Formats: sequence, structure tokens, C-alpha cells
Amino acid sequence: MDKIITEKPVLSAPPRVTLGELLFSFLRLGLSSFGGGMAGWTHREIVERRQWLDEEAFMNTLTVAQILPGANPVNLAVYIGLKLRGVVGASVAFCGMLAPALVVILLMFLCYQKLAGYSETHAVLQGLACVGIASTLTMGIKTSRRLQRVPLPVLTAVGVFLAVGPFHAPLIPVVIVAIPLSVFFAFYGKRGSTHG
Amino acid sequence: MDDNRLLRLIQICVPLSLVSFGGGQSIVAGLQHQVVDVQHFLSAPAFTDFYAISRSAPGPGTLIVSLIGWHLGGLLGALAATLAIFLPSSAVVCLFGSFWHRHREAAWAIAVEKGLAPVAVGLIFAGAFTVIQSAAFTWKEAATTLVATGLLLKTKIGPYPILGVVGLGYFTLSYSGLI
Repeated sequence: MDKIITEKPVLSAPPRVTLGELLFSFLRLGLSSFGGGMAGWTHREIVERRQWLDEEAFMNTLTVAQILPGANPVNLAVYIGLKLRGVVGASVAFCGMLAPALVVILLMFLCYQKLAGYSETHAVLQGLACVGIASTLTMGIKTSRRLQRVPLPVLTAVGVFLAVGPFHAPLIPVVIVAIPLSVFFAFYGKRGSTHG
Repeated sequence: MDDNRLLRLIQICVPLSLVSFGGGQSIVAGLQHQVVDVQHFLSAPAFTDFYAISRSAPGPGTLIVSLIGWHLGGLLGALAATLAIFLPSSAVVCLFGSFWHRHREAAWAIAVEKGLAPVAVGLIFAGAFTVIQSAAFTWKEAATTLVATGLLLKTKIGPYPILGVVGLGYFTLSYSGLI
């Protein structure tokens, strides 16, 4: 059973970080964000190298980035930027994290457009799509291991999958119905398990 | 450039951004459905190509919308689509991040966290299913995906060596006329 020990005031006294440093750090991160593992890279840069956040503050930041909607690396950047330098910092971190990746992917897309006439291009991309699907499946399997082993969450996951996947139901309405139901179940079923 | 189509892409991206619980992969099914089946911005094979590029490139896989934006409206389209998919969720982080952090031990917050997980899982698998469908899988793709999933789950091999080997393999097969 994990006990919450006296919590350090995360937001009270962040070290003075200039916007330039913030931008530089997140540009670095944006460039190194190959193949996931972003949380690890960010930890290395922000906690170990720059020491802008301590271990606990970083873990809390990561939790917030994962629970709120949006791509986790971008959320992480935005929330760290926000903590260190407010909304301007969040904007700087947002741009730093996305700009390099955007430039690279658009360059790749230009190459793709030049090569789209060759059948080999589509064959290669078909293969790469398989690896992309594999990494999505891996992520889905890892996330589903964290689900409680009780019927309702499992049924919810299967229901959402069937509706949005095989049955092509529009995603937004499905989510708008499923989330309140799922949260309601979790709220009234929570005594059954311990947190962690 | 077609302003109308770009506007519709933005209208698709903003709500998806706000419900992308569990990360960018959870909205792939919804995105594919809207841009391929409903709006006919691109064909299913083109979507598969874009998906493959976005999953092989650095950065979040959600950048696939930047490619769709480029496809519809060049550089401006790419920028507009990128902002449409990342800004709303980032605004949520700015507005609710600290709020969430303060209340994370509350009973309702724990229920929200637990309640979101099954929905995210369902959406992530729906995304994989949708791309499998749009990629028109045969035994070859199924085998590749299974082996790659096994490697990613059971070994410490990262996605990049796997992408390299698979890319080279498919190129060779295609070049020698086998696929």
C-alpha cells in the first residue's frame, strides 16, 4: 500500500529558467523523439541534465500529461513549460517539441510525393505500417494490463472497440457516451480494489 | 488550395484533439473514418501510406494530420492541421493540469482516471483494427505485424531496427517482383 508522504510544493519555487533555455531544451527533445520513449528522454533532459524539476515533480507532471487528452510528449512539454514559465513557457515548449518533428515529417512527405509513382514505395510503406500497427497493439496490450480484472471495464473496452472499429460508429459520440458511463462504474465500483 | 476542405479538416481535428485520451493513437480510427469514408479527402491506401510515414517519423504519430493538411492545402494546410490537433489538448493541459494535479487524490478524480482507461484501450485497438482494414492485410502483413508485436512486447528491441529490417525486406520483395 503506497502512502502519500508529505507532498513537496511542486509549483512554489521553480528554478529561474530563461525562455531561450526552455526552447533549446525542447528543440533537442523534439529532435530526439524517435520511436517513443519520450518520457525517458524528457526525464534525462529536464531532471538529470538541467535539474529544473525534481523526481517527484516530474512524475506528477508525467501523470497529468498521460491522463489529459492529447499526445503525451506534447502534453508533457506544455505542462513543464507552464510550470517553469507560465503560458509563454508552455507555448515555447509546444513549439520546440513540435517544430523539428514537423519539419522532418514534411521533408519525408516531400520525398514520398517524389517516389509515389514507384510500386516499391507503397510496398515499403505497407511494411512500415505493419510495424506502426504492431507498436499500437503493443501499447494497447500494455495499457489493457492495467485494467481491473472485473467485467465492467473489460466490457467497456470491448464495447468501445467494437463500436469504433468493426462497426465504424463515429468516434466522438461513442466517447461522449462511454466516458461518463465508465467513470460512473469506476466511481461506484471503486471499493472493490485498491489503488495502485 | 481548397479552403473549404481545409476548414472541414480543422473541424474534424479539434473535437478529436479534445477526446484523445490515452494519446494520439486513440483517435486514429475516428480520423480515418472521417477523412477517408466521410469526407473522401484521400483513399484508404493513401491513408495507409500517410500512417506509415507518421509512425516512422520522429515525434508523435498524430502528425499524420499534418500530412493530410499538406495534402489538402500545402504548407499552410499542414500548419493549420497541426495546430488544430495539438492546440486544443494543450489548452486543456494549461487550463486543467494544475487543477487535476491538486485533486488527483479525490474520489472523483480516481474514478475519472480509472474510467478513462477502458475507453482508451478500446479506442487504441479500434485504431489498429481500422488501419489493418485500410491496409487490406494479407498473410504477409499479418505475419509481419505479429512478429513485430512479439518483438516489441517480449524483447528490448526498439521500433527503429524493426522498421529498418521490415522496410528493407519489403523493398527487396517488391523490387524482385515477389509482391
